[in-house]
Amino acid sequence: MLKKIIEDRVFSLLTMLIVVVIVASIVFPNTFPTFDNFRQILLNLSIDTIVAVGMMILLISGAFDLSVGSVVAFAGCMTAYLMQFYNVPVPLAILAGITASLIIGWVNGFLIAYQGINPMIQTLAMMGIVRGLALMVSGSGIQNLPYWFNAIGQSKLFGIQMPVWYMLLTVGTFALLVNKTIIFRRFYYIGGNEKAADLSGIRVKRMKMIGFIISATLAGVAGILLSSRLGAALPTMGRGLELRVITAVILGGASLSGGYGKISGALLGALFMGIISNIMVIARISGYWQEIILGIILISTLWLDKSLQKKYSTIA
Amino acid sequence: MFTLSKITKTFPGVKALNAVDLIIHPGEIHAICGENGAGKSTLMNILTGNTQPDSGNIIIDNQPVVIQNPQQAFDLGIAIVHQHLSLVDSLSVAENIYANQQPANAFGFIKFDELHALAAALLETLGMSNIQPTTIVSQLSPAQKQMVEIAKALSRKPSVLILDEPTASITEKESKTLFTILRKLKAQNIAILYISHRLEEIFLLADKITVLKDGTSQGTFPVAVLTKDNLITKMVGRTLKTVNPTSSIQQEVLLEVKNLSGQKFTNISFTLRRGEILGFAGLIGAGRSEIARAIFGADPAEGGEVWMKNVRLAINHPADAIDYGIAYVAEDRKSQGLFPMMSVRDNVVAASLPQAVEGKFYSESAARKMAMTSKDDLRIATPDVSQQVINLSGGNQQKVVLAKWLWTHPEILMVDEPTHGIDVGAKYEIYEILKSLASTGKGIIMISSDMPELLGICDRIIVIKSGKIAGSLLRDEASEEKIMSLAAN
Repeated sequence: MLKKIIEDRVFSLLTMLIVVVIVASIVFPNTFPTFDNFRQILLNLSIDTIVAVGMMILLISGAFDLSVGSVVAFAGCMTAYLMQFYNVPVPLAILAGITASLIIGWVNGFLIAYQGINPMIQTLAMMGIVRGLALMVSGSGIQNLPYWFNAIGQSKLFGIQMPVWYMLLTVGTFALLVNKTIIFRRFYYIGGNEKAADLSGIRVKRMKMIGFIISATLAGVAGILLSSRLGAALPTMGRGLELRVITAVILGGASLSGGYGKISGALLGALFMGIISNIMVIARISGYWQEIILGIILISTLWLDKSLQKKYSTIA
Repeated sequence: MFTLSKITKTFPGVKALNAVDLIIHPGEIHAICGENGAGKSTLMNILTGNTQPDSGNIIIDNQPVVIQNPQQAFDLGIAIVHQHLSLVDSLSVAENIYANQQPANAFGFIKFDELHALAAALLETLGMSNIQPTTIVSQLSPAQKQMVEIAKALSRKPSVLILDEPTASITEKESKTLFTILRKLKAQNIAILYISHRLEEIFLLADKITVLKDGTSQGTFPVAVLTKDNLITKMVGRTLKTVNPTSSIQQEVLLEVKNLSGQKFTNISFTLRRGEILGFAGLIGAGRSEIARAIFGADPAEGGEVWMKNVRLAINHPADAIDYGIAYVAEDRKSQGLFPMMSVRDNVVAASLPQAVEGKFYSESAARKMAMTSKDDLRIATPDVSQQVINLSGGNQQKVVLAKWLWTHPEILMVDEPTHGIDVGAKYEIYEILKSLASTGKGIIMISSDMPELLGICDRIIVIKSGKIAGSLLRDEASEEKIMSLAAN
């Protein structure tokens, strides 16, 4: 049992999640365990989860991307900008927004994988650059977006808002890809030992670049979805999102040194954080505390991991 | 005098040490022999305070002691030179030797003049005055680093010096310098505990040998009463048959390398026939691994051609080489061969993922099937292929790496130091595997610094010196002396 908890994060997180849900249902029987509340929780975490899927793939390969929050803002603003000021049709504007995100990912990936720039510095710099671009195209924000654009994120299917469905689709697709395709399996090998992976015939540089492209593209999709849901594109969207997403992914079983993690872990990590912040809202805990608690969760997960590993390695 | 008596240490499922006795006298070189997993590392970890024994006593000069941490071991006069160097590359020799014990003034500022003088004096007494205290460690050769490591251990004025595989990464000639220094230390009444897989040097150096097998001591013997064969018998508990000397060389030329040049080698030309085992001998740093890496596409070649079965190859990445049917077992198993935290299964299929499929999709059960086949074929000792590969012994890890390459169905297999740091039993199994691959018509290039092993299984040995081919010897004419004279002069 202890072995399973330590080794299988999806299992342990699920157990913890169920405990938290049961406790919260007992403490707040009228407000927490309702369909409306769960629907709201899912809606709130859908954007983060889509970004978390890309981040999980990067972390499996041993890299991470700090620029995703800025890409979320930029993709939304860019799309809105094209629609608002150049009357570009909705599908084309969306395509342009996604393509722009893809290019940002390509630049990150190219400079990191082929030119050897440190991923943290590269994506930190890109975070600033892209945030600046978002401000440049949108000024203080763009509102009154076209009806059809807003419909993407604001309509419902079976009583549940569309972003939740997009999230589930993303998670499902990438879970299948990562588990079942050879090309995505390679990320685990790269994270496990980059040199050995290269000598085993895996084109590590190319794969790393693909990882950054996937991460930025998913962030772009999330950003467009977010502005559709809000009916507005704001340059402040996705501020602090990188911290939330990395926390979710680490909670979900990824390791900063690479080689570990599952896509389902990204969803569960985000779900866990979504439920915690929902409970904080229901319990009327001040909003200031939310970020503090977020940081504490991240540090305690890593700390717990280390101490369990230590304990476990002395057993083994 | 150091006495360990009835030391027992149990890890779950394994009795790592079982009532081991060891007596170390000042001024003796005491070798510890045993296969991997025999308990040598555990014994060293107990002596250096990294682990505590479950029972048993450590007695120093008739005083029982408890060693709780490495600092305490230092204070008791025990110093260890680790197999993996503990030097900081970016700092000077002197700063490394006196790490954490630099002479300082009242305000904690380091007195560099005194530091350098101390280091120079220490290096001088070891006969290493060719190493400057102010040199940055990254500029030293592996052997010089090893010497600095020893100086570092000696800076604490130990009464017992432990060396763990000190010759693993240095050349034959440098080993001789090391042995001279060790004999000097012995004359200064320091007790030396020497761990090595290289039996030749143990016989050259040691006064006494304690043999460990499966956690129990097989006894301590004066070196004079042992021969190499009966030492091996004591270590493994069985006699090893010699490698089958028959050759399976065929006429067809598999690989032809023409004037290959790279950063560390120039104008390398040779051929490899089907069924041939071709040895690459030479000193460490002569460029042997670099040649193999260039053929494999791991490093760029600067000129020359590689032909395989009369087709000129265009290789820019290991992936291309694998497609042509070339495999390369890299020099450093842990850093270049294995995915340490991944399972045996994932390691075995790493280079042949497209085979681990059901339909078009990756399938864990298909991968498992492949790994199980390898486990049986190569006799990989692991309870299950889902085990993390890091938990396996060195020999079994190397078999996992070999399995990974065999699944790419290579026609040419290049192995770089394939038996480095693995125990005698597993070594012979690796030789048998290579032999049987050659007999099925594969061409094998074996890079090794272990001359007896090259002489034992190669059909032909090419000696590389400073990036050039210094000579080529057929099995019948090759000898250690001939190889050395080509490699060193």
